[in-house]
Amino acid sequence: MILSTKNLRKEVSSGNSNLVILEDINLNVEEGESLAITGPSGSGKSTLLGLLAGLDNPSSGYIFLNKIPLHELNEEERARVRKENVAFVFQSFELLPSLTALENVMLPSELKSKKDPESNAKYFLDRVGLKDRQHHYPNQLSGGEQQRVAIARAFACSSKILFADEPTGNLDPKNGKLISDLLFEVNSESDNALVVVTHDHDLAKKCDKTISLKLGKVAE
Amino acid sequence: MLLNLSIKLIIREIRSGYLTSMLVSLTLAITIVSGISLFTDRLEKALDTQTEEFLGGNLKFESNTKKIEPLLKKLDVKDSRFMEMALFASVVFSEEEMQLSSVKAVDNSYPLIGSLELRNAEGVYSTKSNPTSGTIWVDERLQNLLKINFGDEVYIGDKSFIFTDTITYEPDRASGNFSFAPKTIMNMADLESTQIIQPGSRVEYNYLFAGPENEMLYIRNFLEDAKESGDEIEMLGEDTSSLGRAIDRSENFFLLGGLIAVLLSACTISIASQRFTRRHISYVAILKTLGMQTLHIRFLYFLIFFYTTVLTLGFGVFFGWLLQNNFINLMSAYFPTELPPPGFYPLLITCLTAFICQFGFIYPHILKLLSISPMRVLKDDIGLNQGSLSVISAGLLAFYLLLFLYTNQVTLSLIIFLAVIVFSFVGIGSIYLLLGNKNLGLGASGPLNLALSELRRRKLGNSFQIFAFTVAIGLSLITFSASKDLLGSWQNSIPEDSPNNFAINITKEDKGLMELFLEENEIRASSFFPVANSSLSKLENDKEVPIDRNFNITWVNDLPEQNKVLEGNWFSNKNLNGISISDEISERYNLGVGDIVLLKLENKNIKTFVQSIRTVNWDSFSPNFFVIGHPSLFEDIPSTYITSFFIPKEKQESAAELMREFRTVSVFSIEELIKQVKEIIDQVTKALNSILLLTCLSAIFLALSALQDGFSVRKHQSAILRTLGASNSLIKNSALIEFAILGLVSGFLGALMSYAGIYFIETKVFETTANFYPELIVLGPIIGFIIVSGLCFYLINGIVKKSPKELLN
Repeated sequence: MILSTKNLRKEVSSGNSNLVILEDINLNVEEGESLAITGPSGSGKSTLLGLLAGLDNPSSGYIFLNKIPLHELNEEERARVRKENVAFVFQSFELLPSLTALENVMLPSELKSKKDPESNAKYFLDRVGLKDRQHHYPNQLSGGEQQRVAIARAFACSSKILFADEPTGNLDPKNGKLISDLLFEVNSESDNALVVVTHDHDLAKKCDKTISLKLGKVAE
Repeated sequence: MLLNLSIKLIIREIRSGYLTSMLVSLTLAITIVSGISLFTDRLEKALDTQTEEFLGGNLKFESNTKKIEPLLKKLDVKDSRFMEMALFASVVFSEEEMQLSSVKAVDNSYPLIGSLELRNAEGVYSTKSNPTSGTIWVDERLQNLLKINFGDEVYIGDKSFIFTDTITYEPDRASGNFSFAPKTIMNMADLESTQIIQPGSRVEYNYLFAGPENEMLYIRNFLEDAKESGDEIEMLGEDTSSLGRAIDRSENFFLLGGLIAVLLSACTISIASQRFTRRHISYVAILKTLGMQTLHIRFLYFLIFFYTTVLTLGFGVFFGWLLQNNFINLMSAYFPTELPPPGFYPLLITCLTAFICQFGFIYPHILKLLSISPMRVLKDDIGLNQGSLSVISAGLLAFYLLLFLYTNQVTLSLIIFLAVIVFSFVGIGSIYLLLGNKNLGLGASGPLNLALSELRRRKLGNSFQIFAFTVAIGLSLITFSASKDLLGSWQNSIPEDSPNNFAINITKEDKGLMELFLEENEIRASSFFPVANSSLSKLENDKEVPIDRNFNITWVNDLPEQNKVLEGNWFSNKNLNGISISDEISERYNLGVGDIVLLKLENKNIKTFVQSIRTVNWDSFSPNFFVIGHPSLFEDIPSTYITSFFIPKEKQESAAELMREFRTVSVFSIEELIKQVKEIIDQVTKALNSILLLTCLSAIFLALSALQDGFSVRKHQSAILRTLGASNSLIKNSALIEFAILGLVSGFLGALMSYAGIYFIETKVFETTANFYPELIVLGPIIGFIIVSGLCFYLINGIVKKSPKELLN
């Protein structure tokens, strides 16, 4: 099992009281498996993704990522876990504007001090169909192209699990479909686990399993 | 509605902290400018009052004869007053002792300005009258030397007087050649009966005038016509005392410090305004989309602009007042009366500075902001491409106006302005080229690689940042150097063992005995300079062109200490030798090297030539001379001698013994004067350090603004890198290495800039010799390293403390 949670809870302080964002979340994801998290806006989907990926700490409960207890780790330790195990695709792409497409894709390999990050990045850019745009900066690319760069960056990490937060949310239906197809296609080649937060029913249907959140709880 | 919205907006901006650097910088600039201008204005007024008292009037006519007395009746003035006094040296006798004293005989109009402070058996009191006929006032030293008490009889010449009061303070201290000698004041009406003044006696008549400026100018012109060789006219505002010069130089420093602080603040304000504009792009676009007219939006931002002006001006002037009050308190002991209130000028210069900063560095950004298209709401990539030229032009114009405001010189402002522009282009261009080309990738494998890669990748931004840091460090170092230079020159002029006693009227016979006395008492004296009074004329084609004053001339083989030959050569055994004159005399009477001159001494005329021109350090406490001749010219000239020596505190009784032993020699102590000058230097040092501190604060704010500007981009990058697994230490260490390098380079360039600036300011603006401090080349990089790395540490800590999720949200 690559990812599992038990009694996961997240609350934030709001004025004098505490606001519960997530409560009693229990889930399991096997290696190579894909999970879609759906739900209306404000149901806690992105917060859950952040907790699962180790970007944030739960208020209580347990998270095991690749058998590592994320809930016990501090920010520095979680960063190390993310570097070795996790890849991301965001709704707003989150590419570095001062780096070219190629350099953005090289970034995870550089952080891992891998040899020849350039050829690895070029391979994945080619794989997402952007070989000819590798020296372009993000502001010279369309939304769909930027998201393809983000996907190439995610797979260039050689991670064990990929978290995608609304990966088609900023794209038109045609580009959205292209991106979701690409995501699953490349993922199938790498045997990564995939956790996707989405409103897109078509995308959710492609996943092996789906959980739906409502007011911070898994809807029955 | 707009009023409410504008108030909400300004409160939100202040709370968010985004406006902090702009508001603080502007307030700081106004504080410094108002503080300095208020202080210097009050100081100048106080000095004028004090100089007036020191001179004894607004105008003084000095003569060795009484010739102008009949002329004064012809003066056509309504509101002016005048008085007459005679000054001479005479021996004063008591029942037990006798002592040479500087005697001042004054008429019934004495004192013309100010009042005297006297002490009698009943205590200390102040008076605005002269001694009544038959009575005499003496200072405490003379009272002690003569061993007299109130009511005792003393004699001057043939007349006896009753000693009634001790002088503790007299206003006209500038009167007379022997103003430091033990002093006596008597009534002018008694002068004749003393029988002291005989034909050939050395006496100086002073006529003092006080009244409105126009009448003083009229009297001055009137006296100029009556003036003959040896007469002198001195008018208020022509203060050449060492304290006057010291205050002049410190005023220059204050103004320089003020200008530098304002320029630093202007840079900060400019950077902060850019950030303000960038933050408000979407806001303006949304208001436009919602249908708000540009005129209303303009009014809204004008209100915000108005609030910042009022806030900064209000706080700045308030803090400026506190600052000048602090300076005044430091110096208050040296001004006998309460300082006059400031005039209108300080407020004018403060308001002008604030308005130039606002209209030059903030308002153009707001105008540019108003030009944003409402399409920005739909397309994020629509930015502020228009109007950059107008923003730059307004900034440059404001910069020039600030320079002009502080220098009051069109050409000088233009030179500094062009020098700064050229320096900016060359500086930024060189840094850009030096940083080299970027490599592929971010270099995120380690902190050093990442830091170096970031330096190259943000080449243009870094060049501007280095430039901003360079300006901040460079200008601070210029202020530091100017302050060090100023204090150093004052402190060097009063070394620990500088002479604290002068002895004059030493006869040839006494000279040897006195040298022996000093040697026996282990008192180190400077040379004994022979002194003779002489008039000086220029000979042009054997025609005599008299120079309008008499000089005390000396003759020595060696160039006196703290004198420097500017033109010609000092005396040597090989050449025919003439005289050496001071640069003031050379300039005032148009005398150059090689000019033939005639010296008219008491018993001989000497035809000679100007051999050299010297600078003289009048601030030194050693005998100084306008004219020095070669001893071969003065072999048979009768003279007295003058010397100075340092008597340490523990040997004070030697001074009294010396006076008793050599009764015809006048020994006077300048211990109190030295002490006072030292105290003034200490107080001015505190004021200078306050300005230096405030300038450094302005520099830190500039550095902080430049850093903050770049850190908004770093925030996003750091969030992505940390999401991808980069550790906090990688982010922190790489930023620290990067900014340590930026700080070191900026510090080095700042030191070079300060050398160039110091050279320019000292030689071209203050017209003095530039002093370079080698330690700046080390100090600059150290300051750069500490400040830039320190600020970076503070900012990067704020970033890494937040989770990547918070930053991405």
